[in-house]
Amino acid sequence: MSVRNLTADKLLWETLGRWKRSSPELDRIQFLKTVPFFDRLSNRQLKSVSDIMFERKYDANESIFEEGQPGAALFLILDGKVAVEIFRETSTTRLAVLEKGAFFGEMALLDDTPRSATARALERTRTLALYRNDLRGLVHRDAKTACRIYRSLAGMIADRLRLTNELVQMKTPTDDVGSG
Amino acid sequence: MSNGQEFEEIEQERKARRKVFYLTFAALVLIVGGFLIWKLSILILPIIVGALLAFVFRPVKERFRVRWLPHQIQVLCSFAAIGLVLFFAFNTLRKHIPDEEQKLEFKVRLKYKLNEKYRQLVAKPAEEKSNAVAPLIEKELGPLMDKFNQSLELNPEERDLFLKYAAGHNGKPPIQGKFVDYFRANQRMRKYVILEKAPTGAAEPTRTVAPAPAEPGAATEGPSFENKLSAWMLAPLIFIFLGFDNGQIRRFFIGLVPNRYFELSLTVVDRLDDAIGNYLRGTLIECFLVGVTLALGLILLGIPVGVAVAIAVVSGLLNAIPFVGTAIALVIGLGYALVAENIRPLIPGLNPNDLALYVVILVVITHVLDDVVFQPFVLGSAVNVHPLVVVIAIISGSLIMGLWGMLFAIPTVVVIKTAVATFFEELKDYRII
Repeated sequence: MSVRNLTADKLLWETLGRWKRSSPELDRIQFLKTVPFFDRLSNRQLKSVSDIMFERKYDANESIFEEGQPGAALFLILDGKVAVEIFRETSTTRLAVLEKGAFFGEMALLDDTPRSATARALERTRTLALYRNDLRGLVHRDAKTACRIYRSLAGMIADRLRLTNELVQMKTPTDDVGSG
Repeated sequence: MSNGQEFEEIEQERKARRKVFYLTFAALVLIVGGFLIWKLSILILPIIVGALLAFVFRPVKERFRVRWLPHQIQVLCSFAAIGLVLFFAFNTLRKHIPDEEQKLEFKVRLKYKLNEKYRQLVAKPAEEKSNAVAPLIEKELGPLMDKFNQSLELNPEERDLFLKYAAGHNGKPPIQGKFVDYFRANQRMRKYVILEKAPTGAAEPTRTVAPAPAEPGAATEGPSFENKLSAWMLAPLIFIFLGFDNGQIRRFFIGLVPNRYFELSLTVVDRLDDAIGNYLRGTLIECFLVGVTLALGLILLGIPVGVAVAIAVVSGLLNAIPFVGTAIALVIGLGYALVAENIRPLIPGLNPNDLALYVVILVVITHVLDDVVFQPFVLGSAVNVHPLVVVIAIISGSLIMGLWGMLFAIPTVVVIKTAVATFFEELKDYRII
């Protein structure tokens, strides 16, 4: 094969590669790979997750969900910033500001208990939403993928519980623990 | 003015503009949609039927999902499986669909037997000379029988064809002599109807069988047969395209919902999907169970398997229409029981002459089983619609769209009921109202 042919082939594959890379679906899969929630999934599994996700766009200051509302979906931030806040009678406490790649509202994947905080976009924000019942549907269609997602969720909840226990232990006087 | 205030003002203006735009767009969609529905009303039914079929068969598609196979190929395989089942079902049913000769034979037999039963009914009490009901029955049923006779009358071509078949036609053996006798009796009967009461000696005013008034051009209004046929071609197309859908349609419509109602819409759509799916699939299973019960019962009564299955299929399918389904099962079953001959019940001790009575008992048993066992077992309490609502819905459906309206009346009520209940419940949960 001549050098000229080789160069032409290389150019063709590069063009195809660029075209492939620029497809929104691949972009989304690439993004999902960076999210810890889905880090155990293969490309094929990420695609089946990506297929059931909804992309939503929010304006600055627009509420994504509000405290007390029943939760239905997990949100991943594609770009933008989201504030997680709780409102009390006189004050608002900002719990966190989340950026690209972060996720929130994950407890909604388990049940529809009310949201414990309000999520509000701080600037124009794009999110991906994973609906609870779509994930349940995935259990029947692709049990392995769904199982891995639930395992990630369980791991995350276990980490938080551990952290909470540590915080409680730190704040509780030693002699109080176990008395009773 | 600070930057923040300026930004707020711009945002407010934008929101107002957006509201006007959405309202205008919604009004435009409503007007155009209304106009299209009005003009293309012929397409509505095929679209609904195609969509409902796709909806009912979705679990089949989901069940045979293979992870490593592309979606399109999986759908094609599902269609192939459905096609195969339909092909075998149609092939089996085709054997029981009467041909031209059998249709003529059946018409002759039905007319003869109906008149025979009618004469028995009218003549018996009169002989006893103690019954004043007979003239009343005759007065009420007489015109009805005239209409039956008219509708069962063979036209000249059919008569010629029957006589040809009676002598052996198209390589087929000649029709049984018994049916030829029926045919001759029927020919005479047409003249006898006027003097029907004469042998009993009752002074009944004579009635003439008025020749059937020529049907006025029924197709002067409404779409032509070709238009209807091409419209119905849409049903399988809709079924196929919806079969290929992998959630894109749902994603598209959810995408149109404002952010504020995003999670709410997901929940409402999901619950509706569940309720309608469960109702439709439940109804299908219920119809199947009713059909099987009727088929078994009719076979036990000695009715030939093919006929029993045909009656059961029609009655089972029509069972989707509450009340009407049972009535139609009764009419078809009784209709056959009246013309049936050489019946040998499989249950010992049954008198073949009382077949009509047994059919009535069978239909009643099936109806009770349906109400007490099948419906609660299959549909559960998921769809509780008040009987009065059911009756009003069926009548309204029949007034709007005839038989199809009756068939779709209850699913429509279920959809509206579930949609409204879920929507309000969720609006409250999401603290929107």
